[in-house]
Amino acid sequence: MSNNEPVIELKGVTKLYKQGKLEVMALRGLDLVIQPGEFTAICGPSGSGKSTALNLIGALDDATSGTVKLEGQDLGKLNRRGRSNLRRDRIGFVFQAYNLMPVLTAYENAESVLALQGASAKERKETVMALLAEVGLEGMEHRRPDELSGGQQQRVAIARAIASRPAVVLADEPTANVDSETAEKLLDIMEELNREHGITFVFSTHDPRVMKRARRVVQLVDGRVAADDVKEGSA
Amino acid sequence: MNIFKMAWRNVLRNRRRSLVTIGAMAFALFVEVMYSGLVPGYTQAMVEDITNLEIGDVQIHDTEYRDAPSIYAVIEDPDAALKTLDEMGYPAAPRLLSGGLAASGEFSAGAAFRGVDLERDGKVTLVGTKIADGAWLDASDPKGVVVGKFLARTLQVKPGSELLVLGQGTDGSMAHELYSVRGVLGSVAEATDRATIYMVDTSFRDLMVMPTGAHQIIIKLPGNVLLEDAAPAIAAAMPDLEVKTWKQLMPIIAQMLDSVSGIIFILYFIIYIAVGILILNAMLMAVFERIKEFGVLKAIGAGPTRVFGLIAIEASIQTLIAIVVGMSAAAPGMWWMANKGVDFGAMGGMNMMGVSMRKIWYGIYEPATVAGPLIMLVVIVAMAVLYPAVKAAWISPVQAMRHR
Repeated sequence: MSNNEPVIELKGVTKLYKQGKLEVMALRGLDLVIQPGEFTAICGPSGSGKSTALNLIGALDDATSGTVKLEGQDLGKLNRRGRSNLRRDRIGFVFQAYNLMPVLTAYENAESVLALQGASAKERKETVMALLAEVGLEGMEHRRPDELSGGQQQRVAIARAIASRPAVVLADEPTANVDSETAEKLLDIMEELNREHGITFVFSTHDPRVMKRARRVVQLVDGRVAADDVKEGSA
Repeated sequence: MNIFKMAWRNVLRNRRRSLVTIGAMAFALFVEVMYSGLVPGYTQAMVEDITNLEIGDVQIHDTEYRDAPSIYAVIEDPDAALKTLDEMGYPAAPRLLSGGLAASGEFSAGAAFRGVDLERDGKVTLVGTKIADGAWLDASDPKGVVVGKFLARTLQVKPGSELLVLGQGTDGSMAHELYSVRGVLGSVAEATDRATIYMVDTSFRDLMVMPTGAHQIIIKLPGNVLLEDAAPAIAAAMPDLEVKTWKQLMPIIAQMLDSVSGIIFILYFIIYIAVGILILNAMLMAVFERIKEFGVLKAIGAGPTRVFGLIAIEASIQTLIAIVVGMSAAAPGMWWMANKGVDFGAMGGMNMMGVSMRKIWYGIYEPATVAGPLIMLVVIVAMAVLYPAVKAAWISPVQAMRHR
């Protein structure tokens, strides 16, 4: 990927859901380009299509029409294994409900993507211990999710998402299940990771705190971009 | 993320459910192993009782005898037949057969008389060892007879009682003689118990005026000779006589014993289907309550094979534990069944299709006895786990994470 190539590119993307006889058009020709290093929030009311957009970008779902590209690669042309490998190697996920494996410790959860990549134990240990320290979980490596607070669990999820140095981290309502103070701390962590390591973050959110921190806010309404604000001072 | 460690922790996650699943598998294995050894043990004992006590492995008659049993339908030269059988290496004994009336005091009953060559019979049948009261026949006591269990009860005789025997001799004369009861048999076989009187062959010949010939030759094959090989060879050596195996003489019992493997399989099937449903239910619950986790696993890049493998390993761990538990319970049970047997108490001695059941049943346990139930368990678990594992492996991550 050249430096000028966008990390994410959506062109004329539509997504039609069928629920029995009912058809719901979640995206209606979405065009969106996200450059490397962006800290972008996709926001909008419920049903505006922001989670659907994130699922398509994350190769978790197929577009009905249009193209979705990640680092120039057309996701519609990838088979199941190709998508799986792409998610493992190039995309990090942070979910609203943390979605950690309950039987794994914080360390094991954080290293899971690296383990799937087949990284050596030494490499995993070095990377994960540094990341857990970076997200403020030093000394909590052996705790299981049920021994951690919501904020701490989300930090583990962030560590898991960035452990493999992905092209983009997709965070779906990452602050929805935590209190304000924790939300601010989580945003601090993600902002710092974005700034320090240049990791691209794309949020799906309707949390004003996230929108306030984001350097670009894309407003979706009825499956289309209604507004796209790049804040001053953001590169 | 070690997949084995993760699978093990998942097994421990819902301990009660895992324990029930493992317990059901172990119990089914235990029952199957015990049953698989006990039934062949019983059938083998039944075959031994049939062939050792009365019937032998092969019997030879005059070609007309079995269709119309008659004192005149005899093997003309039993000595020649016995010589041939001796040369073939098959122990054999002639029997003299007839019927008549037996009476003692005020009681009388129809009876079947068996004339026995004591020297040869002892090498072919074990009926002489089945004496419940008194003693077996003795050449030095030609007037001593042995009576079947129920006949003795009907005639109210015991060792030392006098017994009047009436019949028709081969010369047409009235055959009658007063004998002394030497012994009363225990359970042998229905027909023997109800009507048979054993006597020394010379006494039979005197009674029935039958200086030569024999009605039956009983052959007991050495352990290493197959019935299917020996019978045609004997028949070929004696083309003028009828040669029948015990399976041909008792076809219903032979069929029943042949169908034992089918019966075992049906029981396997029933028990394992029940266990299979339980495992399927447990695995379905275990998979569907974690379907979101599988969605997350897939979202972060785990392929279908890894998800399938995780569930398969979880099932394998539980199966392995069940095998260890089931076999640990079965091992002493197998030892007990093989060495001490199961005492069926009052059921012992009962007749089943004319054959007396043993009081104690022993199991026969061989590698195949254990291998069958083990393989079946593994197959059933594999079948039960297949659907939930495939479902979890191929579900789309979005669908899985939305699952409620």
